Amino acid sequence: MQDTINKNGLNKIAYYPGCSLNSTAIDFNISLKKLLDILDIGYIEIDDWNCCGTTPAQNVSSELVYTLSARNLILAKKMGIQEILCPCVSCYNKLYKAAYYINTASKLKNKKEEQMRDTIIANLKDMGFNVEEELNFKVYSVIEFLYLKKKIIGEKYNEINAGRENLPANRVLLEKLKPVCYYGCALLRPDSALRFDDFEKPTSMEEILEEAGIVCKNFQFKTECCGAILSLTHKNAVLKLSNMILDSALESDANCLVVFCPLCQQNLDLRQDQINKLYKKNYHLPVFYITQLLGIALGLTPRSVMLDRLFVSPEFIKND
Amino acid sequence: MDEFYSSIQRDILKYIDPGIINCYQCGKCTAGCPLSDIFEYKPNQIMMLVQAGRIESIINSNSIFLCLSCEICSSRCPQDVHIAKIMQYIRNEAWKVDKIKVASIKRFYKLFLKEVGITGRSYEPGLIAGLNLISGKLLNDMDIAVKILGKRKINLIPEFVKDRKGISRIVKKYL
Repeated sequence: MQDTINKNGLNKIAYYPGCSLNSTAIDFNISLKKLLDILDIGYIEIDDWNCCGTTPAQNVSSELVYTLSARNLILAKKMGIQEILCPCVSCYNKLYKAAYYINTASKLKNKKEEQMRDTIIANLKDMGFNVEEELNFKVYSVIEFLYLKKKIIGEKYNEINAGRENLPANRVLLEKLKPVCYYGCALLRPDSALRFDDFEKPTSMEEILEEAGIVCKNFQFKTECCGAILSLTHKNAVLKLSNMILDSALESDANCLVVFCPLCQQNLDLRQDQINKLYKKNYHLPVFYITQLLGIALGLTPRSVMLDRLFVSPEFIKND
Repeated sequence: MDEFYSSIQRDILKYIDPGIINCYQCGKCTAGCPLSDIFEYKPNQIMMLVQAGRIESIINSNSIFLCLSCEICSSRCPQDVHIAKIMQYIRNEAWKVDKIKVASIKRFYKLFLKEVGITGRSYEPGLIAGLNLISGKLLNDMDIAVKILGKRKINLIPEFVKDRKGISRIVKKYL
């Protein structure tokens, strides 16, 4: 266990990026890692991780999705870690629920749930894993994790402002920023059990950003669903929902949104042109990952947190 | 088949959410549902159909297959009925007997899981190209594809999990 302790004496956390964070959400992946580095939080990527199965596996069979997700938990345990950081909200929900089923101390509610646990364990054994030992997994979403570390974020921010000034480009960007926080649906609902915030009026994102000197505007559509993965089969339903979210952001006099879910980010950022076309709108609202903005506030360069990879360019914040 | 449908109702009442008997049709679930306008049965109607034992009608409509599992219905239910969980259960049972009302969703899930079975991870370019090929809409989302390529936000070569034999076996078991 010695090598999993970093210089602050904190345990390293196991990092499960998930498939999106290696492709369309590469900016989330990189900016999160950079942020963890400056906060001096140790992490180690789970070796040979697999897809959690996400919506397709969940809707086809709960046994399948929780088996696929549990494989990743067991791999983390093989590395000696049972605390897992899971940035993608969809993956988080699946891993969190898988942990509920297989953790030794979980109090399962009925025969169906016990059957579920037995099936997952049998499937894991079939895949060649030893699951005899005590299991005690704890799965964190990025928001919950950053919320727990918000003091460290505040300290780091004060340190930067007391010593050297932030980079000029960052200062300009931060001054012009008028963000709203969009939580989306999946992290806040009963099954995913966001255990530290209100599901209708959450404030954790705002509190985290405030530690880094970023003040956010209030926003009506904070927790409405963006349409998620229906974008691949029922695109217009997604464009309709995402249009309402962007519209509400404008009404709040915001000039950008902050998110933490790769799918919300895609629907609002990548598809913003499609929304503009379909609804004859003229939105130009950059959609940042919270990790990107925190990085900027803590002195990372825009390029290093991959602001250049956003589809709706945040350049306007510089120009207007 | 009758026994199949009635066993679903029995399981819901006994295990999935016995509290469903408390639904008094206030309609709050439907009011909050982001997709209720395209659901053939609205969430509150689905609760009534479960109570009445008309599971077959639910499976023969598009609602449970389009549901996004955003769970706003469950969150806001004044009677604490876990509507989304009930719909999820019926959906899983429908897949067991291959009764999937929405063809595009069926194609998408099958293609997605086949890919996961082969590589151990999901591979978006293959997925989008595959879906366009099957549906015959080759140019669908081309604008998006161009953008993603331009920003280098995609892996052109799929990633493979090293130890993927077990994953293939498990995926095949359920597909």
